Amino acid sequence: MRLSSLYSRINHNHSAPVWGRSRYRSLRLGLLFIAPWLAGFLLFTLYPMGMSLVYSLTEYHTRGPLEWNQFQNFINMFSDDLFWTALKNTLYMVVFGVPITLITSFACAILLNLKVKGQSIYRVIYFLPSIVPAVASTLLWLWILNPQAGVMNTLLGYIGIKGPNWLNNPAWSKPSLILLGMWGMGGTIVIYLSGLQDVSKNLLEAAELDGASWFQRLRHITIPMVSPITLFNLITGMIGMFQYFTQAYIFRGTGGLGSPLSSTLFYSVYLYQQGFQYLDFGYASAMAWVLFFIILGCTVLILKISNRYTYYAG
Amino acid sequence: MKARKFLLVVSLVLLMAITFTACGAKPEEDVLNVWITWGDNPAQLQALFDRYGEANGVKVVVSAPVEEDQILPALTGSAPPDVLILSGGDLVKSYAQEGLVVELSEAIDTGGIDLADIYDAPLAQCKQGDDIWCLPWGADIYALFWNKDAFEAAGLDPESPPTTMEELEAYAEQLTVVGDDGTIEQIGFIPDQAWSHSDLYVRLFGGFWYSDDGTQLAVNSQPMIDMLLWQQQFYDKYGYDEVLAFSTGFGDQYMSPDYPFYTGKLAMYVDGEWQTGPNFISALKPELNYGVAPFPYPADHPERANTGVVQGTVAVIPANVKDPEASAKLLAWIMSPEVVAEEMCVNANLPTSKKAAQDPCFMENPKFKVFVDLMGSPNASYIITTPLSLELNDAYGLVEEQVLHTGADPVPLLNQLQEEFAPKLAEALK
Amino acid sequence: MQTNPTHPPLYTDDEAERQRRLRSKRIRGWLKASASHAVINFVGLFFVIPFVWMVVTAFKSNQDVFHTPPRWLPYDYVYAAIDGQRYPLYRVQTADGEKELAALKIDSGVGIFADPANPSELYEVKIQEGGLVMAEAIMHVSFRWQNFPDAMQRGSRPGVGANFWVYFKNSLIIAGFTIIGTLLANTPVAYAFARIKFPGRDVLFILVLATMMLPYQVTMIPMYKLFNEILGWGNTFLPLIIPSFFANAYDVFLLRQFFRTIPEEMCDAARVDGASEWQIFTRIVLPLSVPVLATVTVFTFLWAWNDFTGPLLFLNSPDKFTMALGLRDFQGQRTMVWNQLMAASIMFTVPIIIAFFFAQKTFIQGIKLTGSKE
Repeated sequence: MRLSSLYSRINHNHSAPVWGRSRYRSLRLGLLFIAPWLAGFLLFTLYPMGMSLVYSLTEYHTRGPLEWNQFQNFINMFSDDLFWTALKNTLYMVVFGVPITLITSFACAILLNLKVKGQSIYRVIYFLPSIVPAVASTLLWLWILNPQAGVMNTLLGYIGIKGPNWLNNPAWSKPSLILLGMWGMGGTIVIYLSGLQDVSKNLLEAAELDGASWFQRLRHITIPMVSPITLFNLITGMIGMFQYFTQAYIFRGTGGLGSPLSSTLFYSVYLYQQGFQYLDFGYASAMAWVLFFIILGCTVLILKISNRYTYYAG
Repeated sequence: MKARKFLLVVSLVLLMAITFTACGAKPEEDVLNVWITWGDNPAQLQALFDRYGEANGVKVVVSAPVEEDQILPALTGSAPPDVLILSGGDLVKSYAQEGLVVELSEAIDTGGIDLADIYDAPLAQCKQGDDIWCLPWGADIYALFWNKDAFEAAGLDPESPPTTMEELEAYAEQLTVVGDDGTIEQIGFIPDQAWSHSDLYVRLFGGFWYSDDGTQLAVNSQPMIDMLLWQQQFYDKYGYDEVLAFSTGFGDQYMSPDYPFYTGKLAMYVDGEWQTGPNFISALKPELNYGVAPFPYPADHPERANTGVVQGTVAVIPANVKDPEASAKLLAWIMSPEVVAEEMCVNANLPTSKKAAQDPCFMENPKFKVFVDLMGSPNASYIITTPLSLELNDAYGLVEEQVLHTGADPVPLLNQLQEEFAPKLAEALK
Repeated sequence: MQTNPTHPPLYTDDEAERQRRLRSKRIRGWLKASASHAVINFVGLFFVIPFVWMVVTAFKSNQDVFHTPPRWLPYDYVYAAIDGQRYPLYRVQTADGEKELAALKIDSGVGIFADPANPSELYEVKIQEGGLVMAEAIMHVSFRWQNFPDAMQRGSRPGVGANFWVYFKNSLIIAGFTIIGTLLANTPVAYAFARIKFPGRDVLFILVLATMMLPYQVTMIPMYKLFNEILGWGNTFLPLIIPSFFANAYDVFLLRQFFRTIPEEMCDAARVDGASEWQIFTRIVLPLSVPVLATVTVFTFLWAWNDFTGPLLFLNSPDKFTMALGLRDFQGQRTMVWNQLMAASIMFTVPIIIAFFFAQKTFIQGIKLTGSKE
C-alpha cells in the first residue's frame, strides 16, 4: 500500500531499537501492547466492513432477510442522477474547498509567524473559531449569511456591494459552506505554524545575506520545507471533505436535505438519506464502499504526484 | 507482567462505565413515552398527558418536538416510544412495509375507538386495503390569506378576495410593486411560499400524482403539467432570480413578526388554519389586518370551489413496544373526542373526530371557521400515501424547484420522474 | 554575531548621519510592524466578527432579532407599568398630536392605547392608515440577559425536566469517559509502534494508517445495527463511549510521533538497570509526554463535545441528548429562536474555550507531526 511511503517519509528518523531476546517474546510483548487496537480493529472495523460488504451486495432494508441481488445496488448507482449530483457536489468541495483552505491557512500561519507584539493573542483569535462546535458554527453562519437580517450582507452593503443570497442560491451555497469551513481552519493554521517554526533559521538568514527577497525565501526555502505538512494537511483535508456531512445536514434549507436545487446534496448526505430516510441499507452500504475506493484512489494519486514535490530533510 | 495489570484496569474501567451508564439508563416502571414530532408548546402537551397519567396511575412523558431523524433509531432499537405521533402520514406506509409499526385493527377494537367518528379524508392516509396503520389526531387544511391593507393601497376592495384563479393572477399583478432598479418591493402572490402547495393546486386542476386508488403513478398527467406551469407564471412574470431573491430573503422567519405576509411585503399566500390561532398572527403581529378565504378555483370549473386537501398528524404504535396493551389504551385515550377537541382547540388545529368538531370553540373565530367549513366541503380531498411517499416527495420537490425557480420545462422532468418511480411503486406495492 | 575587539568600531564620520540612519531604520521597522499589525488585524476581523455577532444576537430581544438592516447593539421595547402590568410604549399619532402611549391590546390592525400617566382614558387607533404608520413601537438599547436562563431552561421534554443543563451534563459524561478511554487505550499501542521492535510491526502500523482512509460511512450501518439491535445499547451512552476504549488511528499516530522524539538512550539506560518494557513506558516515557497527552486530551474533548453524527444515530430520547443534538431544540419547524440559540451556543462554546486556554501551551507543543527532534 502506498501509505507506507507517506509513513516512512513523515518519519525520516528510523531509530527503532533492536531489543528483544527472541522474536517470539517481542511479538508477544508487542501484541500485548497493541491489544486495544487489535481488538477494536476486529470489532469496530473488520466486522462492520464485512457486514457492510454483505449488505451492499443484497437487497436489504432495516431488517428482514438478506437477498443477494447481483450487484444491483452498484448498477443502480450509474443510472441514479442524484448519485452523480452528490458526487459532483462533493468533488467541488474537494477540488476547490481543500486547496483554498490550505492556501489561506498557510498565509495565516505566515502572518502569525511574523515577529510583532501581541502575536500570542492573535494566535488565539485565529484559532478560537476552530473549536466552536460544528453545530453551533453552522447555525451561527446560517444566521450571518441570512440575506436580509444577516451581518454579511450588511457589511457588504457598507462598501456598496449587494450581497448574494448565499445559502439559498444554488450557485453560492457551496462557496458559503467553504467560507464557513475557512472560519474554522485554526487547526490547520496551528499545524502549519508549528512547521514554520521548524524551518531552519540559519538557512533563511543565509539566504537573506545573499540578497534573496522575502518572496524568493518563501518560494525556495519555506514552502519546500513545509511541504510534508502540506501533504499531510492535503490528505487529511481531502479525506475529511469526502465525508462532509454535519454542516450540510444542519443547514438543510427550506427544501430539506440538499436544497437549494440539490446543490448541497453531498455524498454522505445522500448516503444518509438513502439509508436512514428511505431505509435502503443495501444501497447506502454500496455507496459507502464506492466512497472508500474513491478516497483510496485519490490518496494514492496525491502520494504519487507529491513524490516529485515534497521535500524531506535528513 | 505489568501489561496484564493494565489490561485488567482497562476492563475494570470498562465494566464500571457500562454499569454506570446502564444504571443511568434504567427506565422507571410504569412510564409511558409519547413522542410528538411537532409542538412549539411542549409544556401544554405534557400537561394534557399528565391527566391520563393521574387517572391511570402511570407517568406519561412527552417528548416534543422529536426530530424526524430520531425516529428510525427508536423504531429499530431497544427504546421505542409507546405512542408516536407524526406530523404527517408520509412515512407511515414505509414503516408499515418494514414491519416497524403495528397494524391497529386490534387496538381499535380493544380500545373501543369509533372509526365512524373519524373524518374520512384524514383517515385515508392511514389505510391500505383493510389495514389501518395509523390514526389521524389533528387535521390541517389550507386556504388563501390576504392582506386587507395591501388590497386597499392597491385600489382593490379589501373585503373581497379573488374567487377564481384568473382573478388571483390579475390581483397579484396589481399588488406587485417593482422598484426602479427592477428589484421587487412588494409581491402579490408566491405560489410556494414557505413550502410547496402543489397538492392543493393539482386538485384544483382536477388530478393528483397518483391514481385515485393510489396504485398507479400519474406524475406526468396533464393536471400536473398545468399546475406547475400555472405556478411558474408567478416567477416568470418578474424574473426568476428577482422573485427568488425576494422570497428566499425571508429565510427562516416563518414564526417571526417579520414574516413577509405579516409585514405586508407579500399580499396573498396559502397557509393553514393554525395561523388564525393564538400562536401565530395574534401573538406575532396582532396589528395585521387580514382575511381568509377558500383558495380560488379555475373560472371554467366552478364545481371545484371550496377545494381543500386535508393533511394532518397521525399516531402510530411502534412494533417493538414493551407493552402493546398499554400503548393501545393510551392511543384510545388520545383519540377520544374530548381529548381531540381540547388539544386542537388550544392550538387551533382542526379536529379529526366528528364529535369533537361539535365543540363550540371551533366556531368562535370566524376566520378559523373558514377552515372548518372547508374540511366539511365535498371537495375536501386527501393526500394519498404509499411506501414511496417520502422518496417521491423529495424527487418531486426537486422538479418543482427546477420549474419554479429556474424556469425549466416541466414536461420532460415529470416524464423522467414517472419513468423512474412507476416501476418502484409497482415493486413497493407488490 | 561575534564582535572582534581588535577591530576599530565602524563609526561613520558624522554623528548626525549616524543618528539619521538609526532613525530611518527605526521608522522602517515601525512601518513594517504597523503594516504587519494592520494585515493581521484585518484578517483577524474575519475570525472575530462572527463571534461578536453571536454575542450581540444573544442579547437581543425577540422584537429586534429580525430588524433590517441589522443593528450592532441589542434593542428592546420600552415598557410602562399600568396597574402592575407591563405594556410596551408606542409613539402614536392621535387627534391631538403625537403621544407616547402604552399598547394595551392590538388586534387585526387596530390598537387600544392608554396614557400611563392617565390610564383611564383609552385611544383606539388604526396602526396603518393608507401608507402612513400611525403607531410605532419605541425601542431603546437594552441587553436582554434573560435569554441565557431562558435558553438553558428550554428543552423538548418538560416531563422529565430535560433541558440544556441535562444536555450539558450528558456531553460532559460522554466527553469524560471518551478521554479516559482514549488515553488508556492509545498510549500503549502508540508506544509499541514507536519503541517495541516486534515482527510484523511495520505492516500493522501501515494497517493502522490505512484505517484513516476508511470512511465512517462504511462501518456506520453495521455499527448502528450492532449497537442498537444486537447489543441493545440503543439510547445509551455506551455506543459513544465504548469504542474510545479501543485505539484509533489518529491518536496512535499523534502519540507515536511524539514518543519517537524521546531520547532512546534514556530507555536503554533503564533497560540496562533491568526495567521491564512496561516500566519504561509508565515511568519514563509517559511522564515525559505530558504535552502530547494534553494535546490528545484536548483533541478528544473537542471531538466528543462536537460529535453530531454519533449522538444522532444512537441517542433518541431528549434526556440523553448531548449539547450538539440539543441545540436543534431552537430550530423548530421552520422557525429559529435566534437569540436563545446564540445564547445557548455561547454556553456550548465557553467550556471548550476554557479547556483550550487551560492546555494552550502544552497543546501546541504536543503537535509534532514531523517527528523531528528539536
